[in-house]
Amino acid sequence: MKVPLSWLKEYVDVDLPARELAGRLALTGTEVERISHAGLPAGDGNLNRFVIGRVVAIEPHPNADRLSLCRVDTGGATAQIVCGASNFKEGDRTAVCQPGGMLPDGRRLEAAEIRGVRSEGMLCSESELGLAAKSAGIMILPEDAPVGGRLVDYLPVSDDVLELEITPNRPDCLSVYGVAREVAAITGSRLRTMPVCDIKPRGDDNVEELVSISVADPSLCPRYGVRLIAGVKIRPSPAWLKARLAAAGLRPVNNVVDITNYVMWTIGEPMHAFDMARIAGRRLTARRAAAGEEITTIDGGRRRLGAAMLVIADGEKPVAIAGVMGGQDSEVAAGTTDILLEAANFDGRSIMETSMALGLRSESSTRFEKGLDQELVPQALAMAARLITQIAGGRLVPGQFDIRAKPFEGGATHIRPERVAALLGVTVPAAEIRAILSKLGFKVKKEGSGLHVGVPSFRADVEREIDLVEEIARVFGLELIPPSLPSGMRAIGGLTEKQAATRRLARLLAGRGLNEVITYSFIGGDFAGRLRLGDDDPRRQAVALANPLSAEQSLMRTIMLPSMLMSAAANLAQRNFDANIFEIGRVYTPLKGKKLCDENEVVAGCLCGSLRGPSWRGNGPEPDFYAGKGLVEAMFKELSGWFAVDRTREPFLHPGKAADIFVDGSCVGHVGEVHPLVLRAFDIDRPVVAFEVLLEGLIASSKGIAVFEDLITYPASFQDISVIVDEDMPAADVIAVAGDAGAPLLHSARVFDIYTGSQIGAGKKSVALNLEFRSPQRTLTDAEVDSARALIVQALEEKLGASLRL
Amino acid sequence: MNIDLKGQLKQHPGLAAIYEEAAAAIAAAGTEDALEAARVRHLGRKSELSRLLRAIPEMPAAERPLVGKLGNQARAALEEAMAGRRQALEAAALEERLAQERIDITLPGEPFPGGRLHLITQTLWEIEDIFTGLGYRIAEGPEVETDYYNFTALNTPEGHPARSLHDTFFIEGEAGVLLRTHTSPVQVRVMEKEDPPVYVIIPGRVYRRDSDATHTPMFHQVEGLAVDEHITMADLKGTLEAFAKSMFGAERQIRLRPHYFPFTEPSVEVDVSCMICGGKGCRSCKQSGWLEILGAGLVDPNVFGFVNYDPDEVSGFAFGMGVERIAMLKHGVTDLRMFYDNDLRFINQF
Repeated sequence: MKVPLSWLKEYVDVDLPARELAGRLALTGTEVERISHAGLPAGDGNLNRFVIGRVVAIEPHPNADRLSLCRVDTGGATAQIVCGASNFKEGDRTAVCQPGGMLPDGRRLEAAEIRGVRSEGMLCSESELGLAAKSAGIMILPEDAPVGGRLVDYLPVSDDVLELEITPNRPDCLSVYGVAREVAAITGSRLRTMPVCDIKPRGDDNVEELVSISVADPSLCPRYGVRLIAGVKIRPSPAWLKARLAAAGLRPVNNVVDITNYVMWTIGEPMHAFDMARIAGRRLTARRAAAGEEITTIDGGRRRLGAAMLVIADGEKPVAIAGVMGGQDSEVAAGTTDILLEAANFDGRSIMETSMALGLRSESSTRFEKGLDQELVPQALAMAARLITQIAGGRLVPGQFDIRAKPFEGGATHIRPERVAALLGVTVPAAEIRAILSKLGFKVKKEGSGLHVGVPSFRADVEREIDLVEEIARVFGLELIPPSLPSGMRAIGGLTEKQAATRRLARLLAGRGLNEVITYSFIGGDFAGRLRLGDDDPRRQAVALANPLSAEQSLMRTIMLPSMLMSAAANLAQRNFDANIFEIGRVYTPLKGKKLCDENEVVAGCLCGSLRGPSWRGNGPEPDFYAGKGLVEAMFKELSGWFAVDRTREPFLHPGKAADIFVDGSCVGHVGEVHPLVLRAFDIDRPVVAFEVLLEGLIASSKGIAVFEDLITYPASFQDISVIVDEDMPAADVIAVAGDAGAPLLHSARVFDIYTGSQIGAGKKSVALNLEFRSPQRTLTDAEVDSARALIVQALEEKLGASLRL
Repeated sequence: MNIDLKGQLKQHPGLAAIYEEAAAAIAAAGTEDALEAARVRHLGRKSELSRLLRAIPEMPAAERPLVGKLGNQARAALEEAMAGRRQALEAAALEERLAQERIDITLPGEPFPGGRLHLITQTLWEIEDIFTGLGYRIAEGPEVETDYYNFTALNTPEGHPARSLHDTFFIEGEAGVLLRTHTSPVQVRVMEKEDPPVYVIIPGRVYRRDSDATHTPMFHQVEGLAVDEHITMADLKGTLEAFAKSMFGAERQIRLRPHYFPFTEPSVEVDVSCMICGGKGCRSCKQSGWLEILGAGLVDPNVFGFVNYDPDEVSGFAFGMGVERIAMLKHGVTDLRMFYDNDLRFINQF
């Protein structure tokens, strides 16, 4: 909402500079986006260089046919000015820009020789002064313009403009007068009365006999008012009106349309003017649109209307989308003489839905959708009727329509000073509460120990005591509230187990050299194909957005891998080759028969660069399956848990170099090299190892709090053995058999070497184990260890067909 | 050298000569090899000293004690000198070896590559830590949410103009399901489950259908909620002041500006004094000296109505902040979109 300061000052006697006023508004709840300047630049005496002049004489320019040489009285002096326009005559008053003057577009005018003749200034057109987009000639001012006076004192051609952001609960402030009322309350300045005094109609006809007006849907149109003005002359608006609208950011159209806009800007009631000659059957009805009806709006758009939308229709068809935009067919144009002036109150929600459905927002719809004051209807009609008859001529036809479901019943509530203190934490004296509310337009009287508060029609947002508390807080001053902390605080803060685990895992992975990324939760619809998911893979069933920004962001992900690969690919494309990344985020799984989906936290990552980082000593190993598995092991260890693996069944992983991860028999994730076809689908030209583990699985495997085990008091004995087994024998089987056979003295068996080669023959491999024996009660004897070792070897031979490698 | 020994040796010039010669040889040995040679020559079995000591039994009885005593003393003194000399030579040799083992200390060290946590995560944790320190728990909730929790129960019924301020993503095929536009719905979920007092913060991802230089379709918020007997606006102010000082520096100030949110009343926007210019006014704070960091207010009684809290018994405050904005202000990040480009050249800086 742009509020030109000089316009505001018509209604409130405030003399604060724009910056100070803006500061006060900001601290009382009216956000000031910025202070701009409209029209002629102020400062540096610029405004003194624009004066009202009278053309004393016009002579042809000696050296140019299209130019004339004017002598212009600028009040006590006469200037010689060369002018290219021809729309004026001797005696006309106009705006003169004297040498040194700077125009709104930043151009500075200097005295110059034009075709060999000196010109001491410029006669200005409206477009040069920023009042119109185009002008046919110079601006001719009325006879009452004082010659020699400053232009700015006669016309608002230079103004500071407060650009306000009005919150949706305060549609009353979407008007200059509403802001003036607010300014009066917060500065203590005097508010002038609303400029809505009525005029007398003329003639012996009556609008109620000339036209028929009805409201078919009072729920969507609680109030509908119409007046008729006959015999107007449609012309461009006078300069002052153009200047007002231009400063507010509105485009001048013609006098009648400009006046309806001016009224809207002044008091906040959107209006519409119909050309009565173009209203079929001389009837207007506020009704819902019929299915299939269409209208061409004044912006030229063809709109298909829905049955829920309220329209204003004439005898044949819709002539306006109520409260949103008028129709082109009945708009006021050059030949219009009789106008039906509409001011109405429409249901906010209906207007919002119509405007959203049509994708059409206007100054009118943004006001109506917030719910307007019904009392504005007669006020707007009175103000517009007066201005139109003054500016466009014509007469107000006697009679009027003011159709409403029920008269306005003022709301009322109460306020207790002790409640104010209890909620704000500061005592505001009852007298001050009273003063604040009165200044804001509330009717306050004593009632018991509290106050009875009558709510004015323009403050429909205030219904309850708490709403009044807010009014008091903001005007009293939030800066006067002393800071404190909740006195009853007896809760202990902290993270949940899951949050703590998340943090530990994130730190762990970062500590291992992975960088955390945060990717969008939505992915493209083609992800399933790129991942080679089978037709019946449940991850194909994703939560879909009804209104995605793009196809690439249309589904809530059911798996993290696409996000990881896209992030990796983007980094590789930027030559960030050490793209080892992870993310802890959610996957979203639809649940049959439920509105909401399952949301599960997943720890996912992918490795596509050196594990060592670039170094002059070599880059270290490239990531492989075991690198990924090592990270998974580290994550489980971090939470004192463990897991089992099985060869993967995931279609997007290398069938030989990947594993599914199990906790308590259920699959909680996978780790391994990504399938080359998947890498190709993501434009990645190097091997990538990925892992993805459900956070719940990691936590479920946790043994909880670590319990002390004495590994210190008694020493361990270590023995190494190498056994030869079939080449495809899983090492885990060897360790499991050794573990069972070595119990209870065998503490751990660790693989420290795998060998295949000619020494042990084809189809075989040697597995070297480091065996640690210990007892928590004593130091083991050599004999005990030897016999345990022998049992292990025997079991490996018998159960796995292993042979000891000597 | 033992002066006492030297004086006593005068009683046996032969022994004195042997001693002097040996001592000189030890002192002159410049290498460990030379020192070993001197040991063999002067203290070995075939050395003059050894021979002299071995010959004691054949000496006249009167001489024996003196020679024996002086000879053993001389041997001990020489062995001590030998050990001292050996230590000195070893030290010198080590020093020389170390001096030769020079490397280029200007080359970079072993990378031990450490990854980085995303700046959003770091900022979130910092915010969480401040509030857990103040006694708040952390609550979480669904991102795919119902219209009821996201709007209705937050005093934003259907048709409310505030709904049009949120560009909402809706879910296909499920009426009334959407991506939450703020983390506030979790407020309602927490209050439905728990009786007051409630002190929680709610971090998480939120979604709005908007994408340009200053909007990403997904971003992060931290919502806070305190409901108890006698919660006041002053408590809100004090809590947020503690937060701002903790997050942005002890010298920061905050100010509250009245604002409008459907689910709080009174509502405020909160500014922190500009950390870039210290409040004097600069480009970052548009010369105002203040930066907006969050929205807040007292919980609207209507919201309590939805969760069966009695507004005459309890009051509360709520606040919500954009994590990206806090991170941008604190670290001078100029483009919001960089958070989600996930370029390692960005991530590695923090």
